[in-house]
Amino acid sequence: MPRTPQLLHEILDQAADRDPDSTALSSRDRALTYRELATATTAMAARLRREGLRRGDRIIVTASDGIGIAIMVYAASRVGAVFSVLHEQVRGGPLEHVLRDCEPALLVSDDLDAGRTAAEHGIRSLVLDELVRTALEADTAEAATPAGPNALSVDPVSLIYTSGTTSLPKAVVSTHQQVLFAVIAIQECLEYRSDDVVYCPLPLSFDYGLYQVYLAALSGARLHLATVAEVGPPLLRSLEKAGATVLPSMPSVSDRLAWLLGRSSGGPGRLRLLTNTGAALSEPTMTALRAALPHLRIQVMYGLTECKRTAIMPPDGDLDHPGSCGLPLPGTEVFIVDDDGDRLPAGEIGQIVVRGPNVMAGYWRRPELTAERFPRTEGLFPELRTGDYGWQDKDGYLYFSGRRDDLYKERGFRLSTTEVEAAATRVDGVTSAAVLPPEGKRTALLAVVADVTADQVREGMRDHIEPFKIPRRCVRLDALPTNGNGKVDRKKLAALIEQDPPASVTTEALQARLAH
Amino acid sequence: MDRQHVVTALENALTDVLERPVTGLTGDVKLFADLHLDSTTMLEMLMFLEDSIGLVVDPEELDADDFVSVDTFTDFVLATQGEQVAA
Repeated sequence: MPRTPQLLHEILDQAADRDPDSTALSSRDRALTYRELATATTAMAARLRREGLRRGDRIIVTASDGIGIAIMVYAASRVGAVFSVLHEQVRGGPLEHVLRDCEPALLVSDDLDAGRTAAEHGIRSLVLDELVRTALEADTAEAATPAGPNALSVDPVSLIYTSGTTSLPKAVVSTHQQVLFAVIAIQECLEYRSDDVVYCPLPLSFDYGLYQVYLAALSGARLHLATVAEVGPPLLRSLEKAGATVLPSMPSVSDRLAWLLGRSSGGPGRLRLLTNTGAALSEPTMTALRAALPHLRIQVMYGLTECKRTAIMPPDGDLDHPGSCGLPLPGTEVFIVDDDGDRLPAGEIGQIVVRGPNVMAGYWRRPELTAERFPRTEGLFPELRTGDYGWQDKDGYLYFSGRRDDLYKERGFRLSTTEVEAAATRVDGVTSAAVLPPEGKRTALLAVVADVTADQVREGMRDHIEPFKIPRRCVRLDALPTNGNGKVDRKKLAALIEQDPPASVTTEALQARLAH
Repeated sequence: MDRQHVVTALENALTDVLERPVTGLTGDVKLFADLHLDSTTMLEMLMFLEDSIGLVVDPEELDADDFVSVDTFTDFVLATQGEQVAA
């Protein structure tokens, strides 16, 4: 019986002992077994030590090569260093902010611009491609270089930068034991198998993507790292080619998959599990996926970087608990508090609070913000104020209502745009919906893309939510304007509705069709 | 349908999808690196071409290699259209 892993890279070493010849990582043009991956990460760690890296030093990795990033992540763990994976579009000012904020000892990238930015800040940079090539060529003997002092399980292993709307991005700090607790608890819920092929449609700069690397190591599954091109129109074929059995998805990818399946006779027949996070998965998409892939099970989830994962729905549990994002991770507690911090009973909306070993250490060098979001009861025991709002039913199922921004008050009721929009899209004939919270004299307004009348939408919503939650005004549009992230742009929408009658928006009509 | 016709249709599609004028595309322009398309806008482009030039795609035939540059994508459209004419 292997000992319980204390440090992140130990899950890789255990996988390499257990399944040395199984494929650990694959991409379009490369594959590595668990033994090869473990060896490469050991060689990479030795190289990092030769480059002067020590326990506690920070390393920034920003590149498109997922396999290279994974090697770097485990190598950093072996050295006791703290890694941060940045999206390859973090350049210029945003990159400079990160460099100033975490003062890394090293930046690793394939991008010369990133290297130059680092140099301007007196930070060394190395080329990932070259590092990876050398690490893969190393044999085991060469890899065995004397190690420095080991990290402790309570030491930090990763910084994950998250954006705020008002302030500059801040880094959520995770220790080895926090990451390991989270990944083991998630695996308990999702039960990836050693014969699974997990198809990762996201870059590893998203923690949802990065944790797939760890989940694969825990379960012995193969992780396929897809490129941006593969997860576009060729998604179906790419899933089939990879032999995907598990798809960690988000609404945009799932909507695309549903659309593609809708006009295809076949499909990725081996796909057995789709997980969702990021935002709520629409019911039409779930229905379409289930119809096209009868063996597919869906697990919706909810979480935020500050605690990695908050809740996971049992497989297909959304059918019994529609709208819920599941139950708290095993070994953790989720509860709801009012504005004074007092716990609320089942059924009442308030802020979602998380307790447990998945609550991360806090924000890097932000003591005030950390104290605010990670308050300590009795001055000792940290909990996480998520800043998200929702409620729990009496069985403990969690329902996400929205961010603070998504909540509004009307006629004395506290309402959630997310909840109202979900109710509207459940009405037959409604493709998409967005709520504009009341502003000034204007009452809350519902905009829909639908092939039924506005009155029919409002009437139909009575089947799904309380009448007082239904906005008095409902307008029909050709499409909802969206921003670069594919989310509804409420400012544009408000401007659009000012014009009377609403103008036709041909551009996003295409986007609206995605929801079919 | 000739090559130039496809490129013009592509420019119209991209202008629409990217919400900025796209003209004067040459064959070597890369869809991701140069035009900053992503997986979502890529699909929207395809949907636009369905409407504008009647492109009918089989999702299972779509390959990432076809979505590299203006040239590879034009080849793909011409091949697809050719099949439709033949069929």
